Amino acid sequence: MKVVRILGWAMIWSGGLILAFLAYQLWGTGFITAQAQADAESQLESIFDNTIDQIQEAGLPVAPAVVGTAPDQGSDETAPVLYPEFAVDEGNPFARIISEKAEVDHIVFEGVRRDDLKKGPGHMPWTPLPGQPGNAVISGHRTTYEAPFADLDLLEDGDEITVQTATGAHIYTVREVLIVEPTDVWVTEPREGSWLTLTTCHPRRSARQRLVVFAELVDGPNFEYLYGASDTADGSDSVGVG
Amino acid sequence: MLKRIYNGLPGPPPVRAGVMVVLLVLALMALALAFERAGDLIDNGGVIQ
Repeated sequence: MKVVRILGWAMIWSGGLILAFLAYQLWGTGFITAQAQADAESQLESIFDNTIDQIQEAGLPVAPAVVGTAPDQGSDETAPVLYPEFAVDEGNPFARIISEKAEVDHIVFEGVRRDDLKKGPGHMPWTPLPGQPGNAVISGHRTTYEAPFADLDLLEDGDEITVQTATGAHIYTVREVLIVEPTDVWVTEPREGSWLTLTTCHPRRSARQRLVVFAELVDGPNFEYLYGASDTADGSDSVGVG
Repeated sequence: MLKRIYNGLPGPPPVRAGVMVVLLVLALMALALAFERAGDLIDNGGVIQ
């Protein structure tokens, strides 16, 4: 009889702990992210300004639209310019990612450590920044911590993703959506042109696999430099995967 | 159960109450850490590495 009683209490406690765990994961973690996003929202403009100041102090070009000046009318006005951008320290916000279809509108933080991803989508520091040449990789939660990438599976070829950084708005078009294993690091490898790779868990409520979205730059401050003059706004005649 | 632990602690009541508070805080911290680590099973942020 005593064994049954102990077993009964053990089951009650286990059930309570499981319920508390699920409540914390599905709702509690969202409060942490919401707070971090609200704090970052108030900092983002000044972070953009600081980045532009650093670029100017280093004597590097800044996109005219960002500083509100007319395009440079120098001797070689047809030569496109690469507008560089400096990375912020890990854990700090530096960009905003927007996708209407996937219902993404979040501030992106530098870094993909556990604490970085609690605040919102995180940029892998060893990949280029969005809008720069290569393959910029951003990861995000799909079930917990406000699930910024919950509906990433809704994206299809041709859908638009915008990443706003200090140098301007970088507009990407989805080229491929696929499922890979968590160890398939090839998806983060450099690519020719400028690409944005979004990664999240798959299926939802499981970390068994990864959902990956590849998107290619079709407009933005560095588009002309990277792809040359394009006939169409969607970059259909742009450079492919390297 | 909490009462049994409290009664089992050595020392005068104020010390025992203080120790109980510390133990409860430690238990909650351990629970939060366990929840966080276990949360990686359902969503670890989608990082590929």
